[in-house]
Amino acid sequence: MVQDMRLIELKGVCKNFGDTHVLHDVDLYIRKCEFITLLGPSGCGKTTLLRIIGGFEMPSSGEVLFEGSDLTGIPPYKRRINTVFQKYALFNHLNVYDNIAFGLNLKTPEQLGVGSKKEKKAEIDRRVRRMLKLVKMEGYEKRSIDALSGGQQQRIAIARALVNEPEVLLLDEPLGALDLKLRKEMQLELKSMQQQLGITFIYVTHDQEEALTMSDTIAVINGGRIQQIGDPKRIYDEPNNAFVADFIGESNILDGVMLEDDLVKFCDTEFQCVDEGFGTNEPVDVVVRPEDVMLVGEDVGMLTGTVQSVIFKGVHYEMMICGDGNGFNWKVHSTTMQPAGSRVGMTIVPYNIHIMHKATTADAVPVQQKPSKEA
Amino acid sequence: MKRSWYASPYALWMLLFAVVPLLFVCWYAFTTPDGTFTLSNFQEFVKPRYMGVILRSLKLALYCTVLCLVIGYPTAYFLAGRGFNHAQSLVVLILLPMWMNLLLRTYAMMTLLDDNGVLNAALEALGLGKIHVIGTEGAVLMGLVYNYLPFMVLPIYTVLKKMDYSVIEAAEDLGCNPLRVITRVVIPMSVPGIVSGITMVFMPAVTSFAISTLLSNGKIRLAGDLIDYIFNQSSNPTRWNIGSSFSLIMLVLILISIGFLRKVDPDNEGGGMW
Repeated sequence: MVQDMRLIELKGVCKNFGDTHVLHDVDLYIRKCEFITLLGPSGCGKTTLLRIIGGFEMPSSGEVLFEGSDLTGIPPYKRRINTVFQKYALFNHLNVYDNIAFGLNLKTPEQLGVGSKKEKKAEIDRRVRRMLKLVKMEGYEKRSIDALSGGQQQRIAIARALVNEPEVLLLDEPLGALDLKLRKEMQLELKSMQQQLGITFIYVTHDQEEALTMSDTIAVINGGRIQQIGDPKRIYDEPNNAFVADFIGESNILDGVMLEDDLVKFCDTEFQCVDEGFGTNEPVDVVVRPEDVMLVGEDVGMLTGTVQSVIFKGVHYEMMICGDGNGFNWKVHSTTMQPAGSRVGMTIVPYNIHIMHKATTADAVPVQQKPSKEA
Repeated sequence: MKRSWYASPYALWMLLFAVVPLLFVCWYAFTTPDGTFTLSNFQEFVKPRYMGVILRSLKLALYCTVLCLVIGYPTAYFLAGRGFNHAQSLVVLILLPMWMNLLLRTYAMMTLLDDNGVLNAALEALGLGKIHVIGTEGAVLMGLVYNYLPFMVLPIYTVLKKMDYSVIEAAEDLGCNPLRVITRVVIPMSVPGIVSGITMVFMPAVTSFAISTLLSNGKIRLAGDLIDYIFNQSSNPTRWNIGSSFSLIMLVLILISIGFLRKVDPDNEGGGMW
């Protein structure tokens, strides 16, 4: 379980490559045994953040604390952190067994908790075999790396890092090269490994579904800034801003005006909502999930429109509906299909209307990380 | 027309100028001048004056290979390093001497190392006195290293350049300090390049000729010079036979070395030419 103790803390971390600002003033803490995902589009700075924690990059300013002491200037090989690299970075001059044993072989017998060199060999053997079992690769000891499939290489990369019993495991889009089915399997396996071993995982991905599936906490990053930190449900249900809403799942994002507390106007219609504390007549972003738009008869809908296109998505139909009046293109998910060209009405219940401050990534408000493990 | 026919000009060329001559060499090696079968040509080989030359060739080629490796590996490592922007131009600089004829380069080396040459002029100007280089094994070794160094640098450079940088980061991540990164990962992973470099330096060095003759004023002969000398000995009626048997022995020695190196790099990943 996630403990309250802050294992890693980033304070005001900035990173520039020449004139390019990759990270702006990032504050983030990571708790012991937490599975935290850094989620964002390519180039948002998430990998750089991971590399700073791993010690492969130095922050331009700010500090990284590990159990309260500064990590700056401590090289990767002295950190109790291991990494699963994006392209696995396995040693192809060594076989599977020696790849996994690589880190342990570098340690002294004392570091492994044994007395002699002979015991060290036995201890390494014990740990390597336990890892092979954990990643379900028993019997592959003598195989050469080049003879493994992508999924198998990926498991060896995980085993090679985990065998060192790090405090923290960094994973840089480790499932990116796998096919969908294998990826889903590995997501669940990674999550169960993490719970079984009680190791903190910091996971980088651009795949929002992956983040929602595995994480205790998600930090959504864009333009080198953290946009929102929270548990998956909170991120999905209460996105901080239009970017988060759009990146996590699909969204209809509309311009609206907050008339008063719990009343918002968009598409020339007033809607009851559950958001308070906005200024009177403040322009806001209104976010409505496609599955939250209910299709009703044209005569009873709060809004009306014409179905433009229908795509069958398996579980549901995705319809594009052109709203009357301002012509906004609504994306609507429904299990019942309305054929293209038909007239429909749409209603949205108050708690499915999410109101956000107008904010661009450049002047984003600083994100406060909630201090406790709330649901 | 079958695709294999496209290689027929090459096959014909090889047949006429490699296979047929090699058969002649074999014929001469195993016969006397009057055409009867004999192994006596090979017995010549164990005579001390010949054996000494072969051993010296092997010794100098070995020294040359080791020196090339010691000088070439760090160079290749530096050139292949990240964040070094002038690698391409430096590689060209390393290749540049290879665009010139080997004899020209060796003549240049002679002028540099000569008793009244550039090196000694410089030493004298510094008040250090002259040193005698030309005619020593050291001079021959310098000539060999100078000529074959690029063949060591290039294959190692190619392998190191292709190496994924994240492998080095993975080694650091798993606990390697900078020295161990090199000994545990970089060097083992560049073995194919090293093998290729060793082959491409050792083979030509052990059979080289002209370099040694020129840089030793004819005093030091290597295997290549020896074969050359035997063939051109006008007085000896068996010169073609003995020369051929020596050529065959060198060929077998090289085949053995290749076989040995193939064991180290079975996939020939270094892209060696041998």
